[in-house]
Amino acid sequence: MHFIFSNEVVLLFDFWSVHSPAGMALSVLVVLFLAVLYESIKVGKAKLLYWAVVSMSIPASQLTEETDQDSSGSDSPPVSTTRLRWLFCHFGQSVIHVLQVVIGYFMMLAVMSYNTWIFFGVILGSAVGYYLAYPLLSMV
Amino acid sequence: MAYNSTTVPSHHHPTTSASHSHGEGMHNMMMHMTFYFGFKNVELLFSGLVINTAGEMAGAFVAVFLLAMFYEGLKIARESLLRKSQVSIRYNSMPVPGPNGTILMETHKTVGQQMLSFPHLLQTVLHIIQVVISYFLMLIFMTYNGYLCIAVAAGAGTGYFLFSWKKAVVVDITEHCH
Repeated sequence: MHFIFSNEVVLLFDFWSVHSPAGMALSVLVVLFLAVLYESIKVGKAKLLYWAVVSMSIPASQLTEETDQDSSGSDSPPVSTTRLRWLFCHFGQSVIHVLQVVIGYFMMLAVMSYNTWIFFGVILGSAVGYYLAYPLLSMV
Repeated sequence: MAYNSTTVPSHHHPTTSASHSHGEGMHNMMMHMTFYFGFKNVELLFSGLVINTAGEMAGAFVAVFLLAMFYEGLKIARESLLRKSQVSIRYNSMPVPGPNGTILMETHKTVGQQMLSFPHLLQTVLHIIQVVISYFLMLIFMTYNGYLCIAVAAGAGTGYFLFSWKKAVVVDITEHCH
């Protein structure tokens, strides 16, 4: 098996069969967009985790002031709401993680089609996605 | 090489019979190139591991699900092991001649592992296991079987949810209380 230049490919699904140069150009654009999406999901997951941790620690500092003043067992409802919020945050992150894993595997399978145009689309999309998304990682 | 029930021209290899000529009984060159749902005659990673019934497919689904979960857990475990082994910071101070004839103490701080230490060897072994499992998961996804691909994705998501929860809580506590 080796890389070939061809205008015909069947990509991932039975209905995604390409026969013409226009269809190939469109497929390369779709694959490029998928690669950009993959890189931005990686950055987005890290940013989401950072925001979730920051937003979780701010109410916790306010909680310590309240429990000093109230002597009755009023600290149980605020603790459960923060844990519930953390559960929702973490569930959202898990969904994003599944999306990242699936898109990563799709890109691997697209490269496995051994079509050189698709391979260029994946590489270019990864480069553009990294270039656009990673500066946002250091921006706070 | 493209196996399809529809008449899609297999432009990669003009003859499919030539691929059967070498390697008698190695493996049938019936590689799917698109996603499909089925459980008949599904080869999984090793010769002899063939799925033929729905019950075997269910068992394979559970096994792949657990493998993907274990992979996510292994990633988190390696991270926490690395953090724990890097807590030990070595200071060594050495006298250094300063200006005007005084002697200053220059302190070197090294964070990390020595090469022959047990934590580093353990990290290396775990790294090899992680690489092998990640390649296995890639090869499982490459079978293009819909059930097995869903098992990989669901196992990865569940493993991330279960193991990274603990990691995130630990990160939260260490960032908050210091």
